[in-house]
Amino acid sequence: MKLLTKTNIYTTITTVLLFAMGIFVVYQVILQKLDKEVDKQLLSAKTKIVKGLNSGILPNEFLSNLGQKVYIKKIDKQTIFDNKFIEYIEHQTSASKSDEDILQRELLFQTVVDGKTYEITVCSSLTEGKKTGEYIIVVVLVFLLVSVIILFLLNRLISAFIWSPFYDTLSKIKTWNIKKNEILDFKTTDIDEFHLLNDTVKDLTRQIQADYHNLKEFTENVSHEAQTPLSIISTKIELLMQESNYSEKQHKLLVQTYNATQRLYKLNEGLILLTRIENKQFVETSSIDLVQAIEEKIEVLEDFIEAKQIIVEKTFNTQVTKDINPVLLTILLNNLFINAIKYNLEKNGTIKITLNEDSISVENTSISDKIDKQFLFDRFNKNSISGSLGLGLSLIKKIVDFYNWHVTYSHKDGTHKFKIYM
Amino acid sequence: MRILIIEDEKSLREDVVDYLSENGYKCDFATTIKSAIQKLNDVVYSCALVDVGLPDGSGIEIVEHIKKNNPEMGVIIVTAKNSLEDKLQGLKIGADDYLTKPFHLSELSARVYSVLRRRNFGGKNKLVFEGIEIDTTEKKVIANNIQLQLTKKEYEILVYLASNPTHLITKEALAEAIWGDKAEMATSFDFVYSQIKNLKKKLNEVDVKNYIKVVYGMGYKFKE
Repeated sequence: MKLLTKTNIYTTITTVLLFAMGIFVVYQVILQKLDKEVDKQLLSAKTKIVKGLNSGILPNEFLSNLGQKVYIKKIDKQTIFDNKFIEYIEHQTSASKSDEDILQRELLFQTVVDGKTYEITVCSSLTEGKKTGEYIIVVVLVFLLVSVIILFLLNRLISAFIWSPFYDTLSKIKTWNIKKNEILDFKTTDIDEFHLLNDTVKDLTRQIQADYHNLKEFTENVSHEAQTPLSIISTKIELLMQESNYSEKQHKLLVQTYNATQRLYKLNEGLILLTRIENKQFVETSSIDLVQAIEEKIEVLEDFIEAKQIIVEKTFNTQVTKDINPVLLTILLNNLFINAIKYNLEKNGTIKITLNEDSISVENTSISDKIDKQFLFDRFNKNSISGSLGLGLSLIKKIVDFYNWHVTYSHKDGTHKFKIYM
Repeated sequence: MRILIIEDEKSLREDVVDYLSENGYKCDFATTIKSAIQKLNDVVYSCALVDVGLPDGSGIEIVEHIKKNNPEMGVIIVTAKNSLEDKLQGLKIGADDYLTKPFHLSELSARVYSVLRRRNFGGKNKLVFEGIEIDTTEKKVIANNIQLQLTKKEYEILVYLASNPTHLITKEALAEAIWGDKAEMATSFDFVYSQIKNLKKKLNEVDVKNYIKVVYGMGYKFKE
């Protein structure tokens, strides 16, 4: 989730909750105020009624002036009680309008005038007041809603503006490539934290780059410098082998030393080749017919294909010509085909080679299981059954990367498939 | 057959001189361009082995000098760099062959033989041993007066072994000479061994039994 979305969600939820609580409180206050106001009116009506009764004016005469319903009843009781407020809902039916539930509040009291006891009810409708309260709430609600939306949008705008240097930094780090010797340049910002972040990232990348180059240089130097002593050792052992009269033990030691040296030598050669590809030492290209190239490579491997009685199926869907370095193409095709032969069934396996306008795929039956994709193209991730150096796939990957191509691996029913999209 | 070896690295130079001498060549050596040109002016050589990287310049200069003054001479250039440019430049100015360091000494010997044969020095286009004769022009092998029917690979192996007659050839060197960059695969397939087996069988059929000895774990020798 994006940072801005997350902060927006939180602020929106808090604002809405706060506003909802506020509205609830306001509504309750309004209702209470309303009740108090009505009670005041009812009490003032009571005073007027009592006054009227005392001065002998007929109650009915001033009823119309009061705007409230008044019911007066004469009773025979001597004891009287004081004010009683009652609230109830009255169901009103009228012919002209639809049925209505009207909230009523009434004041019930008893009074003695000229020795006669009266029970008086003053009744007032709460509905009007309540409606006003609801109107107020609706207005407040609409206002709040609009302010939430405005706040939300404003917040987004401001955040986007404030965080823009951060996103700039992020996108630049994302596209940063250690292999390209580029120095990161960030948007200037007046926010201290972002400034610090940019400076830290700059320092870090500079450090990483320096370390990377040192390491790379070191590996290259080691490989190159090792070449000469290695070849001297190899030659000397070959010369030692020319001597005869070795004991069985000496003979064995010599053979083992020679084999290990050969292995080390091949390994070093492979590493140098990888470095040379990385250092773009194979830039010169020529236009090569891929169909012809594939045919040639397969022909050279004919001995090995025959030895395992492998059936090679070639499907050339189109004639493809590519501008590519001939050395790299040879390494690429050789490694693809050699792997397909080496890891094939001991007998009667198949290799399917398919060439399309933009892709070449090599499928082979195999004794080995699916290869773990994660480490597939890593150096020295060798299959347990092979005695090889484990550089083949890594070379394929390096060449594919060099041309900005793309290689995929899939495994289905005991068949390994490598496909290169060109 | 006199060969000039121009190489500044002492250890390698000594090995090359020793190995080629054992194969019947007379060897001189030089360590700089200057001393090499001096020697070339004084003595007539059949072939020169030129290292490209010399302390006082590029060996290419020597190749140019040879081609100008003694175009008959065979030239093999040797370089530590596996670079295509050096190879192309070397061959363009007239070098006969090209070797990349490091190389198997047996490979060098085979190349020297092949260059000398192509340049037709002393009519040496036949490798002759007791009971066996290899005609490298016609690509024919005659053993006990019978022409052998060899496959291409068998023939190549035989010539390679015969051009290093007294030396032990490791199976790696043999695989590299015959299968090139597929050598690793050839060794893993035991191809060298099976070819040798066929070759020996064909020689046995015509009663030639003294040649090609298997040295366990190491390689092969053409003769004792």
